[in-house]
Order: sequence, then structure tokens, then C-alpha cells
Amino acid sequence: MSAGLMIDLTVDGKKVSVPAGTSVFDAARLNNIEIPTLCHQQNEKPIGVCRVCVVDVGARVFTASCVRPAEQGMVVSTNSEKVKQARRTLVELLMTDHVSPCARERQSGDCELEALAKQDNLARSRFAPQATRRGVDDSSMSIGVDFDACILCDRCIRGCDEIRENFVLGRMGKGETTRIAFDNNLPMGESSCVSCGECMVSCPTGALTNKVINQTAIAAPGSEPVSLQELNELPFFEGVSGTFLSLNRNAVVRRRFKRGDVICREGEYGSTAFYILDGEARVSIASPIAHVKTKGAVKRFLGKLSSRLTQRQNDVRDDETGQHWIHIDAPMDLSYENPVATLKAGDLFGEMTCMSLYPRSATVRAESDCTVLELLRNVLDIMQRNKNFRAQLDRSYRQRALDSHLRAVPIFAGLTDEFIEGLREKVELLRFSPGQVICRQGDHADSFFLVRIGFVKVSQTHLGGDMVLAYLSRGDYFGETGLLKGDVRTATCSALDHVEVVRISAADFAEMNRQFPEVRHQLELVDRERTQMNRERLTALSSTPLDSFLKQGLMEAQSLLLLDLDSCTRCDACVRACADAHDGVTRLVREGLRFDHYLVATSCRQCLDPLCMVGCPVGSIRRRNSLEVIIEDWCIGCGLCADNCPYGNINMHPFDVFADVPGSPGQKKAMVKQKATSCDLCSEFAEPSCVYACPHDAAHRVNPRQFFAGLLQQSSDKSPKD
Amino acid sequence: MRIDATHRKWLIASLIILGVSTFVYIAYAASSPAGPSGGSATGLTFGIVGFAFMIFAGLLAGRKKVAIWRLGRAQTWLRGHLWLGLLSLPMIFFHAGFQFGGVLTRVLMILLITVVASGLFGAALQHYMPRMMTSEVPMETIFEQIDHVRDQLVTEADALVDGVCGATQTEQVALSGGGAIALATPAPAAVLPLRDFYTRQLRPFLLHDHRRHQTLAARADSARLFEGLRTVLPSDAHDATRKLEEICEEERQLRRQVRMHHWQHGWLLLHVPLSLALLLLGCVHAIMALRY
Ligand code: HEM
Ligand code: HEM
Ligand code: SF4
Ligand code: SF4
Ligand code: FES
Repeated sequence: MSAGLMIDLTVDGKKVSVPAGTSVFDAARLNNIEIPTLCHQQNEKPIGVCRVCVVDVGARVFTASCVRPAEQGMVVSTNSEKVKQARRTLVELLMTDHVSPCARERQSGDCELEALAKQDNLARSRFAPQATRRGVDDSSMSIGVDFDACILCDRCIRGCDEIRENFVLGRMGKGETTRIAFDNNLPMGESSCVSCGECMVSCPTGALTNKVINQTAIAAPGSEPVSLQELNELPFFEGVSGTFLSLNRNAVVRRRFKRGDVICREGEYGSTAFYILDGEARVSIASPIAHVKTKGAVKRFLGKLSSRLTQRQNDVRDDETGQHWIHIDAPMDLSYENPVATLKAGDLFGEMTCMSLYPRSATVRAESDCTVLELLRNVLDIMQRNKNFRAQLDRSYRQRALDSHLRAVPIFAGLTDEFIEGLREKVELLRFSPGQVICRQGDHADSFFLVRIGFVKVSQTHLGGDMVLAYLSRGDYFGETGLLKGDVRTATCSALDHVEVVRISAADFAEMNRQFPEVRHQLELVDRERTQMNRERLTALSSTPLDSFLKQGLMEAQSLLLLDLDSCTRCDACVRACADAHDGVTRLVREGLRFDHYLVATSCRQCLDPLCMVGCPVGSIRRRNSLEVIIEDWCIGCGLCADNCPYGNINMHPFDVFADVPGSPGQKKAMVKQKATSCDLCSEFAEPSCVYACPHDAAHRVNPRQFFAGLLQQSSDKSPKD
Repeated sequence: MRIDATHRKWLIASLIILGVSTFVYIAYAASSPAGPSGGSATGLTFGIVGFAFMIFAGLLAGRKKVAIWRLGRAQTWLRGHLWLGLLSLPMIFFHAGFQFGGVLTRVLMILLITVVASGLFGAALQHYMPRMMTSEVPMETIFEQIDHVRDQLVTEADALVDGVCGATQTEQVALSGGGAIALATPAPAAVLPLRDFYTRQLRPFLLHDHRRHQTLAARADSARLFEGLRTVLPSDAHDATRKLEEICEEERQLRRQVRMHHWQHGWLLLHVPLSLALLLLGCVHAIMALRY
């Protein structure tokens, strides 16, 4: 085809002249004759799959005008009864592949397919709806995918591949089960999708929609909207579809803070993250760094108990952590001795609160006048998927945070600067969405991981099913067992929420162990401890046949408070005694699961799946080596663990303390702060107060395996031997 | 407190005390020509010992106020209370030489007998009731929360009935727009009996409306009613009906729990004030008898 050569044709009786190579569709369009389309849109290469643009060019069969080049002398009819009839049938057939009304039709009433159907009065298709349901994919933060609304027009695929050149989208499957797919058929949220929004903007139906949460706006006092142009100029929104960005514009605001203003406060719930545009902010923990200790004079006959906040210097508990750093939801960790640090322009904080709705882990106050962007989840997601931003984040992590992150792990405290320098460019930052597997039991062990953000669930599969070994959070590491043995993974590690990990390759890990025998030694110790613990639990598990005993997690417990329901008169003396022993805050509730004729009362049960540990924004609740829970001194009293424990075994204990007045730095006043507590077995005494105070010999603190040994034995005798 | 093998030591000790005192009493009664008397040395000793047992029994109330003081385990105190409290009766009989004496002493004797009898009754309740409660009220909840749980039951039941009778209609409207899905939703007419049953019987029952006859209070009657209801309702409504039946059962159990709770703790209303009067009047009698 050569430029300038014109051809003449007739469209609906009108003589038109267009350059050679023009499609029939364009020829009509240029002359204001509209032909309906679906799979074709102006900025994409036409592919002619939907055939809604049928026209009669006088050939034996009707043709799709978007792909059919115009020819000299062609006579085109776009509107005859026959053509209309054909189009109707096509639309009707497409409607059978499309749930109606789809998300888009419901949201904004502008599904292109349903609009065509309405024009043709085709509210309902004569054809049977497609039998196989193709489902939905809800994994992306900002884009909802409903495969049942998809008509396979490929507009999204062309948007992703041709326009944005991200090459994430493609097609998968055959026949009825054909659908669009992200990467090699991954859930969208786990794929390499960069959240540019082009596919969503391209989709004619409700198969790809902007999620409704995005309509929520941030309503913080003094927040200013950010114009689309400003957003587009920010480097981390480069390559994001303008339409998509403008749909999400409500989810980002600019806020200005004066020196001393509080940007966010620890323990508060929130749903946003902050990005500092200019200025500096100070991040700190305002809660008293102390734990609750119940004191009483045991020796004296009439000793009375009282609970006090006690600092680590004055009372070292068994198994208290040796770590020097408190992990928070910001690019750095805080020192245990002086929990304060500075955030600078370009820093992002509050990601965990934003992504997983955890309470704020620390208080941030403007150090100088400063401007920040406050973002909701969808915008944070767009930003974090952006290549530029990831690069910036990576860079700043490698340069600023890697050292402190590594050194915050006691085992790695001894690594030399040169070694970390060498690691700097080699480590990889990886991101995982909820549920995604990071490494799988039985796979070849090829790397070592440090958790940077989020919670990682470590579980092991064995004959009896899955058992959660641990929840790891920021500052924890995993993957050493397989590497040390040069073997396969011994457990499956998966992301519980939005997780970011630092990956260190097997080679670098080996190099580290070679250079630092002490590190290797420590790792081996920890590894041995972990393995030993797991083995003990496994033997415990496999030696109990009693199903419900297991289901209730009783097997896990080292010590249970049991109330013998056959003698308990429900007098509540135990509950009152517990409250008396703990400043009026009972740690015991006389309700719970029943096993045999016993009520398993509250107090930590050292569960198979310690749900309380998931979500603590500062990681201050963890297992002792004895598996019992310990709440470290830097607990900020947000109460999430108490909410998460299914058995109500964690209680919040309020204390009057002297603390900073919010908003006016330097000033202090008395206020109430809470600390999480769990049953301490009244450890000051020979016997827990509840047991001691029960007049009816109904309350017992027992080791369940010994206590129920007879019962378990009986049932194992009864169960068929195989 | 359950009376079981763990009481053996207390039983043996009590029998020994009783045996020795009986022996002493018989010897003493035979040797005193005027017959036994509260004022004799031996009689007085019995009186003091018996009263000491009562004071110890009365101290249980004080012990329970300071539950976490390490004054001995609460159950030890209760065991002592039961056995020594019981022993105080023969001790006083020996003291008084099985006489009732004047007005004050007569009142005292009656009080003592009532206190011990009520104590025995209470001990029996505490022995049997917990097991009954455990087996008959598996849905037991914390007593103070019963009202709250009841409110929840009503809300839940309302929602269930609306789900079958109310909301279904609107859902059908929505369906006729989208069309193609053939959900066999029960026609409103078919589920009317459920609404009727709910407003006339179940809801008043849950709300304790005593103006209505509480057929549902009896488990057998309730089962019959629900069975009948299911035969007239379309099968889609059976699931909800089953849940309503469970709610009904829970309400019955809660009522039972309340009743049992009142029995279990109500007898103390007799036992405690009378024991207090006993101790006070006992002092009065002791002082009067010794002074005159
Ligand atoms: C609450 C428990 C007590 C009861 C129910 C009780 C009952 C009696 C009775 C029925 C008599 C009359 C006996 C008769 O007519 O021969 C009597 C006499 C007497 N009681 Fe008690 N008694 C109690 C406690 C005490 C105590 C603690 C003392 C002294 C420490 C005491 C000192 C006497 C004396 C001295 C007499 C003889 C005086 C008299 O015969 O009038 N009693 N008691
Ligand atoms: C004769 C002198 C007695 C006195 C002065 C006495 C006094 C008392 C008092 C004051 C209480 C209330 C404790 C509380 O605050 O809960 C009590 C409870 C009780 N008493 Fe007695 N009592 C006596 C004898 C007995 C006897 C002979 C029995 C049974 C054999 C008995 C069985 C009980 C029981 C089962 C309780 C309830 C304890 C609980 O549930 O914690 N008492 N008594
Ligand atoms: S230990 Fe519990 S209360 Fe304390 S900070 Fe962690 S989750 Fe919050
Ligand atoms: S003190 Fe003993 S009898 Fe009373 S409620 Fe507690 S376990 Fe039951
Ligand atoms: S618009 Fe031409 S084939 Fe789809």
C-alpha cells in the first residue's frame, strides 16, 4: 500500500473516498456512519474476534468491518435488516457468555455489551447460558476480575501487551473454559501485574473493574486533593493509565504537618500509608517499655497481690528476648534502649496498617514542617507495583535498611561491614500476596529469607494434616534448615498477608557461614532447637488417638486450667480470685470448650496455631522456648492479640502512667495506657489463685497429657488397630 | 462440693471424734447423779467445742471474702465446714444432755438444727446439681450473660424467619430481571404457616410473654409442633425450621439453667442468715449461762 493512494466505495448508499488500507469500519467512521463494535477500540490493533461490527460487502458471507480493508468499488451496507438480524444474533450469543447485569453494569450502567443488547431489546438471551462457570479472581488490590463477564474480546490483552508493553495478560484454556490469564495463570494479585490499570480501562464489560473500595475517600482533617497532573508527574505513577489513576484519585491526599504535629499514633487503627514528600518526621514508641508483673509477699501470712509495670532492668523474665531492636512498620527498626528514629523525604511508612489493617506500630510526629501523601491500599498497591518505585524502594532498602535489618537479628549482629557491603547488591526484595507460597516443603532449598514486612506462616504437612510451626514477622528469618543440611525444605512457608522478604541466595548464605563460623554455630543451634521442638510436638501428636482432644488443641498444651463440671457449682469464686489477684482484671473467664466433663478455662493453651501472634504490629508477643506466650516489654497496648485469641486468653490491663500529652511535645500528664497480659499462673505462689480459691475442688491446673492419660488410653484401646 | 472418696480422711476423723465424745458422754452421763448438764465441766467442754466448730464454720464466709490470702486452700475450708459443722450438732446435744432447756436455749437448738439441716440439703444439692447441669444444659452460659444470649436468640430467629418468609419475595423480583437462574424459591403462600407459628408461638416463647400458652416449654410438645410444621412447609424452609428448633431448645436449656441456678444458690438465703443468728444468740446464751 502506498500513501496517498485513494480508493472509492459506497457505504449505506453514500459515496466515500479513503486512503488505501483503511478498514471498512474506519471508512464508515470517517464519514460519520457508526458501526457498533466490541472487541475493537481505536488505540488497539483490530483483531476481529467478536464480529459485532458485521457488514454486508456483497460477498457470500457477512464480514467483520474492523479487520476488512476497504476495496475499490465496494458497496457496503451496515444497516440492512439482514445485517441487523445477524448482529442481534451475535450479541445474543455473546450475552450467553456474560453474566448480566455484570459488575460494570451495576456500578455505572455502561457495560458495552449490555448496551448493545438493550438497543436490540435483548434483555434475555434465547440461548441457554453457558454451563461452566469460570469464576472470579479477587486477588488484586485494585482490580476485580470476573471471568464470567468476559467475552474474550482480547482488548485487555492488547492493552497490556501492545500499549503498556507489560506482557502480563494472555489467553488460556480451550473452548468453553477459555479465559484470560495473568502470567502463567496466576491469580492477578500474585502475578507480575504492575497495576497500571490499562486492562481495566480497556475492558468493554464488567470482567475487569475498578474495585469499589477505591471509591472510598480519605477524610483526614486538612487533607488536600492531589490533581491528576501532579500525580502523573510523580515518578512512581509513571506508566499508569490516566483513566485508572483518576478513578483512584480519591484514595490519595496531600497533608501538611507543622513541626510537632502527630501524623499517626501507635495502637490506633488505620487504613492508610504515608509517603513523605518533604520534611522530616520522628518515629517513636510512647508506651512505657515494661511488662506487667504481679507482686505479692508470699512469705507474709496476709500477703496481698498487686500488679505493676516493671521494667526489664528490674525484672528479667525467663526467655525474654535478647534482641536490641523493636521492629516497626517503617523502613527502619527502633533501638530497644532509645526507641526513636528519623524518617526523611522519600520514605514510606505504615504499609502494614495500610495493606493488612493492623494497628499503627509507632507514633510519628513531624520533626520539621513536612508534607506527606496519605494513601489508601489501592494506590499504595499501584505505587508498589510500579517499576520505578520498586527500584527506589530497593535502592533505599539496600543502602539504609539492610544493615540495621540484618544487625537487628541477634545472630547476625557480628557480621562485618565489608560482608554486608558485599551482600548489598546481591540480595533480592520479593513481594508476596496473602496465601502465596514462598517456599514449599520438599522443594530444593536454594535461599535464605529475612522477613521485612508482614507475617509468614510456617507449616508442616504430615500424616495427621497440617500443623503451624510458627508465625514469623519482621526481623525473623527462615529457610536455614534446608540450607544447613544442603537438602530440601522441611516446611512450607506462605504469606499470611502482604509480605515482603529479603532473599539471600544459597551461595551468599554459604559464604556467610564460611566467613563467620560463629553465625553458623548460632544458626545450627537455633535450627537444632526448632527441629527438636517440632519433633516433640509431632510425637505428642502421633501418640494421641483422641480426635476431639486434638481438634481442641489440648494436645499442645503443657498446662490447662480445667474446671470439673461435675463438681463445679458455678459459684465464680475462681473468677473473683483471679480478678483479686490481678488488680481487678480477671484473666479467667468461666466459659470455653468442653472436653469430657471438663471445661477448659482460659489461660494460654499454647495452640497449634497461635493466632494471637498474627498481627502484633511491633512483634512483641511471641512464644517462649517452653511454648508459653511471652509479651515483651515494648507492647503498645493496641489489643489486637486479645481480639485474635479465639479463647480469650489475653486480657488488656490498664495502668495509670505519666506520658506525653498528644499534640504538645514535652508536656506530660497522667493517662491510662494498657498492656496485654495472659495468665501468669500466679507464679509468685505455689498454686494459681483460681485453683486455690475454688471451694469445691473443681478447678485444677494439669498437664493434659498426664491428666487424660487414662482416657486417651481407653480410646486408643477401642480404636481399631491398623 | 462433691462428696466422694477424697472425703475419706475427714469422714474417719469425724467418726473418731464422734466415737470418743459418745464414749465420754456416756461415761459422764452415767457418773453424774443429777444427769448431764450444760453447766458441768464436761458439759461446758462439749458446749465450747461444739461452738468452736460453729465459729469455724461461720468463718468460711470471711475466708471467701479474701480468697487470695494464703490462709489454706478454699476447699480445705469447705471440707472442714461440712464435717465440723455437722459434728457441732452431736457436740451440742452432748452439751445440753439432749434437753432443750429454757426459751433462749430452745430457740438456739431449733436454729442449730435448721442450720445443719439446711447445710446438709445444700451439700446434697452441690453434690448432685453440677452433674445435672452438665448433662442437661450442654448449652450453658455464664449466668450473668443469659439475658444477653436471649436477646441474641430473638434476633437470630427474626432473621431466620425473615430469610424464609420476607426477604425471599424481594429476591424473586430481582431474579425476574436477570432471569435465567431457576432457583426453586418457596412461594410466599407456602411459607405462611411458618410466619404464623413464629408470631403466635415461638416469638412469645422466646420473649417470655406469659399471656400466651407456652407449649414450647415442654420438649416433647415442641418436637411435635416442629414436626407438624415441617410437614406443611416446603423442603427449602426445613433448614431454617431446624435452626429455629435449635434456638427453641437453647431457650429451654437457658430456662432450665436459671431454675437450677436459683436452687443451687438459693438455699444459702436460709442457711447464711440463720447461721449468723445462731452464732450471735449462741454468744448471748454462753454469757448469760456463765454469769448467772
Ligand atoms: C450455740 C450453741 C449452744 C446451744 C444450742 C446450747 C444449748 C444449751 C441448752 C439447751 C442448755 C440447757 C440444758 C439443760 O436444760 O440442762 C444449755 C445450758 C448451758 N449452756 Fe449451752 N448451748 C450452747 C452453747 C454454749 C456455750 C458456748 C457455753 C459456754 C461457753 C454454754 C454454757 C452453758 C451453760 C453454763 C449451761 C448451763 C446453765 C443452765 O443449765 O442454765 N452453752 N445450753
Ligand atoms: C453449724 C454451723 C454452720 C454455720 C455457722 C454455717 C455457716 C455458713 C455460712 C456463713 C456460709 C456462707 C459462706 C459463703 O459466704 O458462701 C455457709 C455455706 C455453706 N454451708 Fe454452712 N454453716 C454451718 C453448718 C453447715 C453444715 C452442717 C453443712 C453441711 C453439712 C453446711 C454446708 C454449707 C455449704 C455446702 C455451704 C456453701 C459453701 C459454698 O458454696 O461455698 N454448713 N455456711
Ligand atoms: S502484644 Fe498485643 S496489645 Fe501489645 S502491641 Fe502486640 S498485639 Fe498489641
Ligand atoms: S471456684 Fe470452683 S466451683 Fe466455683 S466456679 Fe470456679 S471452678 Fe466452679
Ligand atoms: S469489533 Fe470488529 S470483530 Fe469485534
